[in-house]
Amino acid sequence: MNPVLANALLNFETGIVLWVGVTFVLFFVLLKKFAWGPVLQALEQREKSIQESLDSAEKAMSRAEEISRKNDEALRQAEVEAQRLRKEAKEEAEKIRVDLIDKARTEAEAVKEQTLASIEQEKQKAMLELRSHVAELALEAAGKILNAELDEKKNKKLVDDFIDGLSKN
Amino acid sequence: MVKTLRIALLFCLLLLLAGSHAHAAGDTEEPIEPATEVDILSKMGDRYYIEFENLFKFYLPRIIISDGFHFYGSTKSAMNSGVFQDQYYFENPDEFVPGESSAVSYKLVHAEDGRPVMLDMSISKHVVWFWLAGLLTLLIFGRLANKYKAGIGRDTAPKGAGMNFAEVMIVYLRDEVVKSNIGEEKYLKFAPYLLSCFFIILFMNLFGLMPWGQTPTSDISVTAALAITTFFMVNLNGTKDYWKHVFAMPGVPKLMLIIMIPVEILGLFTKPFALAIRLFANMLAGKMLILSMLGMVFIFMGMYGTGVGLGSGIIWVSFTLFIYALKVFAAFLQAFIFTMFSALFIGMALEDHSHDHHEEEPDALQPATQLQ
Repeated sequence: MNPVLANALLNFETGIVLWVGVTFVLFFVLLKKFAWGPVLQALEQREKSIQESLDSAEKAMSRAEEISRKNDEALRQAEVEAQRLRKEAKEEAEKIRVDLIDKARTEAEAVKEQTLASIEQEKQKAMLELRSHVAELALEAAGKILNAELDEKKNKKLVDDFIDGLSKN
Repeated sequence: MVKTLRIALLFCLLLLLAGSHAHAAGDTEEPIEPATEVDILSKMGDRYYIEFENLFKFYLPRIIISDGFHFYGSTKSAMNSGVFQDQYYFENPDEFVPGESSAVSYKLVHAEDGRPVMLDMSISKHVVWFWLAGLLTLLIFGRLANKYKAGIGRDTAPKGAGMNFAEVMIVYLRDEVVKSNIGEEKYLKFAPYLLSCFFIILFMNLFGLMPWGQTPTSDISVTAALAITTFFMVNLNGTKDYWKHVFAMPGVPKLMLIIMIPVEILGLFTKPFALAIRLFANMLAGKMLILSMLGMVFIFMGMYGTGVGLGSGIIWVSFTLFIYALKVFAAFLQAFIFTMFSALFIGMALEDHSHDHHEEEPDALQPATQLQ
């Protein structure tokens, strides 16, 4: 067998295994201390800070939403209140209007009544006056016509009876 | 010529049918120039030198622990010391010229009796490229970590394409691999290990795509070392439940345990074994495929002449490009799969389950995820 072929590709050299094994562990320790340790730690820290910013942004967002929700609520409440006040005012005004009308009507009624009463009174008075005036006129006229035989008393009674009969009719 | 291998030698088995024709053609046509000979195996296997072809060749030191501690600047100096000898020259002593012959097999044995050495702690090119991958990871992510420490990416958004790209990968691995398998509470303990695994393996895989680059992960020794670290990571962190599932599977009749316990113990070792083999085989196969595809140019040249060889080169080079693109994908995929399965095994060992149901065998997932 050719010596070059014989120990070329599949040689298992203990010495090389030892060299590579030991130096690999050495490289691993150095890499851990000077490379992977700081890198992994930095990555972790960055991820944590990103997570924190995301969380705080989330929190701020939810707080803003809360505030806006509260504002909306307040606005709606104010609107309801305003509506209620408007309605109350309207009702009040309506009541006042009705009251005023009622009062005016009663007053007008009273005035009318009073007027009517005074008219009646005036009418009665006028009637009385008229009656006495008519009696006097009739007496005067009858006296002038019948001045002889009839005395004034009998005549007056006659005329009064006549007028009573008139007014009763 | 033993030292270097002809491309044709590597493919002669594949081309037995055309073999006779090749011979006939090879006899009449001009012979293959030495320039077309490429030592493919030294590109794929482990060697004790680093070669930047046509620029320089750097021999790595040999450290041998056998009958004491021996240190040599290069394989050649070890051979010339008289204590050790290349196995090839030990078997063919007449070819050895002291001081001039360079190593052939690079496997050292004792010079006097040919005993294999006890422990060869030599630094090979795969170890060096592994170190380069580790240093590159350390450099890139150390700088990245400094940026994070300075506040960029920590308090602000990450800046620049490099930082963003690195962060995409890190965050993806952290969330989809580590957290989903290990859980939110313990992930920080295991994320550094798994991230180291992923990026070092990724760089090792990608190195093979560079000119002059080598892929240490195409060496079973390297992937075995990585798998062994995963083995320790899994078993040192196993919970009581995990060990109970190994040694006393709840809800299983006592007699069945005689079979179950050896199977479960075997399972402890097959998991890292599969990790090592999968990564190694995938990376080696990709490398081989590229060299084989390019090698077709030279085979056709030998069989039908230079014209046909160069003409068909268009096909082979476009195939190679396709495989190359696939290899880029596979580099990421295999690094990811190694990390993914490591995380899965660690996650299984950490699980605290009081219910009796048995975990689905993770090995069942392998055919689906093993793409290359």
